[in-house]
Amino acid sequence: MRNVQHVLRAAVSAALLVLGSAVSAGAQGSSTSPTGTLPGGVTYAVFPDPAQPAAAIALWYRAPSSGFEGTPVPGFSRLAAATVAASAPITGTPLGRLVAGFGGRLTVAAYPDSVSVTALVPPDRVAQTLRALTGDYFAPVTTQAGFELAQQDVGQDSLYRSYDPEEAIEDALGSSLFGQGPLHDGVMGSPDGYRAATLDRIKAFAERAFRPSNAILVLSGNVDPAALSAVATREGASQQGAERPIVQQPLRIPSPVSRHGNASGIGLGWVGPPIADESSATALDFISDALFAPDSGSIQKVIGNRRATVSGRFVTFHDPGIFLVTISGQDAAAVRPLVERALADAAKPMAPAAFAAARAGFIYRMLADLETPDQTAETFGWYSVEGNAAYAPAGNLDRSLYFKNVAALTPKSVAATVARYLGVSPAVVTLTEQPPSGGNKGS
Amino acid sequence: MTRILAAIAALTVFAAPVASNAAAATQVVDLDGARAYVRADAGAPLAAVQLFVRAGLARETDAQNGLAALVAELVLRTPVSSPGSGPATPLVDAVSARGGSLAYFVSSGYVRFNLQAPPETLPALTPMLAKALAAPAYDPATLAAARGALSSQISEDEKDPRLVGLAMLRASYYRGGAAFPPLGTPATLLAFGPADIKAFHDRWYVRGNAYVAEVGRTGPATDAASRALVAALPGGNAPTANVPDTRPYAAEPRRLITHRDVLSPYVVLGFAAPSLGDGDFAAALVIRSLLTDAFARPSATTRPAALRGIGTVYGYDVAPAQMALWINGALVDPSTGLGAVSALVRATGDKPLPAPLLNRYKDRARGEWQLEALSLGDRAWSIGNAVSQGLDPDAADAVSAAIAQVTPADVQRVAKRYFLKFDVALILPRTQGQGG
Repeated sequence: MRNVQHVLRAAVSAALLVLGSAVSAGAQGSSTSPTGTLPGGVTYAVFPDPAQPAAAIALWYRAPSSGFEGTPVPGFSRLAAATVAASAPITGTPLGRLVAGFGGRLTVAAYPDSVSVTALVPPDRVAQTLRALTGDYFAPVTTQAGFELAQQDVGQDSLYRSYDPEEAIEDALGSSLFGQGPLHDGVMGSPDGYRAATLDRIKAFAERAFRPSNAILVLSGNVDPAALSAVATREGASQQGAERPIVQQPLRIPSPVSRHGNASGIGLGWVGPPIADESSATALDFISDALFAPDSGSIQKVIGNRRATVSGRFVTFHDPGIFLVTISGQDAAAVRPLVERALADAAKPMAPAAFAAARAGFIYRMLADLETPDQTAETFGWYSVEGNAAYAPAGNLDRSLYFKNVAALTPKSVAATVARYLGVSPAVVTLTEQPPSGGNKGS
Repeated sequence: MTRILAAIAALTVFAAPVASNAAAATQVVDLDGARAYVRADAGAPLAAVQLFVRAGLARETDAQNGLAALVAELVLRTPVSSPGSGPATPLVDAVSARGGSLAYFVSSGYVRFNLQAPPETLPALTPMLAKALAAPAYDPATLAAARGALSSQISEDEKDPRLVGLAMLRASYYRGGAAFPPLGTPATLLAFGPADIKAFHDRWYVRGNAYVAEVGRTGPATDAASRALVAALPGGNAPTANVPDTRPYAAEPRRLITHRDVLSPYVVLGFAAPSLGDGDFAAALVIRSLLTDAFARPSATTRPAALRGIGTVYGYDVAPAQMALWINGALVDPSTGLGAVSALVRATGDKPLPAPLLNRYKDRARGEWQLEALSLGDRAWSIGNAVSQGLDPDAADAVSAAIAQVTPADVQRVAKRYFLKFDVALILPRTQGQGG
């Protein structure tokens, strides 16, 4: 671990290069190949669609949200990525300001075991954005001013998210399912936690996490694959390799969690299959959609006019995945038995007509999640960073491995998967809203 | 964005133009008299077929506010069945169960229905929508469900201070349908019986002036769907509605105050603004970028709307248009923000912007415009909205080039003409004992 950090710090001082014509010569794929590896070790994928009005450029990294070492700080990866975006690099303009000046949008998203940075820009800004994004992250500059700005933003974000019952409950469920590690720590963090972070630790994290050989670069929408020539790299970058996907050991018996917070509700969580078990992962994606899809999910219809909001989803982590259910609102306690009954019923095969309808709706919603360039980049980035890029849902139903798995589902196979993974006692989280202290979520 | 825009729409009715440019991105398909405007994106996973019917708010009288939304909601909730598919279910559920989605949006000039699915699925979906468009259900159960759904949506919208402010400013600026709440009110919705609703439907759901925008994976399936949807409407023409009347802004801002269950106060300013086809539209977009950037605090990344101190909604689906600028009182002191906006627009009108500043905001405005409509539904709306205002279907594409041509004199002129006078809506948190 220490040796790796030493190498990385030394590498940051090396000159940044722009790939230029080296792309076609050095990429393991060709310059026109939709996927490949660039000379600096950057894994890339390009999904061009010239009819789209915009382009998305995303960098995905394997990195624990709470930090590589030391005391875990939930959401630390978000703070580090935001610090880089807010810091003035050698070339001048901080990335966030540069993208805003193009009329674009820059977002940082942190997940327990990964972090992404996505720029959505007009097509004629792709090369400039790609050059700046890869330059800034592959040799990260972290300034005190950028750090303070990021602390302010990320702290405000976490406070805002803490009022969202679904986010707060899902964040807490990990601590019930896992005794330690990034899924246990969660991603939400707190303003106090971010204030306590130090710039030195941010620097160390950024240098390790954001190195080129740990990067998955996704271009989608109105992009020309030739834009890859704008990708920056640095000498020796490819020698360091990528971080390994994180394997998490779940608790043998989940421990119930009760917390006070800014939102209230109930969470139920189960450990699911790893991403490598495509058939089971697809089955749990399918059943979560059939039960919980807004408006059309069968549980949503059972709830009727009760004052409760219910969500459920399977999260396809590397190993293991997790199935999360949240119930919030005034009638949450009354709705919980209805949800549990529906989940128990899901362990029995669905009637053929209901199954066909659920599958048709599921396929539609999966395709609708690939409508815009940033959605495409997010989907591919996620499956890549979790270690199974080939399984990422793609718009072409006939060729997509994911949709072949969907086509292979049967009522019996889905029921069996539900029985196997959701037929055990779940982890339970209870959030209770603490009395108002005069604060304001927008302040 | 679309939902907000839909909430502030008004009316313009012109004959649908024929595309004049053979190389236009949007192609025109004749639907036996009506038109489909087709913009292909072969890489898209889905296709959207968006039907525009001239049955929007402008067709309502004061006493009829809510009917446009109620008819559209009834279309979605009309029970449908197909051979071997079991009992009839509401159309929107039937579409979902067959692998598509259906939604509607009420504007002043039109109601639009967005049917979205893989093209190969459309043949199963279109006949159901066509049938419901031709004859929505008016039975008590369907009507109660439609009223309930609309009332829930109205209640949700009331929680967003920006939407509340927009509604207040719209009511203050426009006259007639453009001023009405798009979904009506729970009280007005209760007042309509089946006969009222059917009369509205029979009067305005006609083929004349209806048109379709197709985007995404277009082809024979989307053309067939467009043809079937237009054919489902009875023949006949709806008379052209008048251009919405507006009430001129006074020298001193009108202050409109309300109390709502919101966490922090919001100030929303309403300006008259050039419409999409106006030569001043591009300069107004530059001013929009200037106003929103000037008071935005530095940030690492793009802030979500709820965490921004200031933002705008440009209601250019109406001609004349209106621009609303909101200030989040939790992040920007309302009095300070209001004074600063006034000072900035005065300064912008008084002297030309220096070239570097102008170029900065032109760049920003051009990019923001290009990112304005990304989803298939929004892209279809962008085409249909231009057509509704008598413009080329690709009018939105020309705006980027127009922004590049904006001069300091343009900005100065537009600031003086449109931004010196405005109304102010104040949305204040409700304290104990206060009504709305």
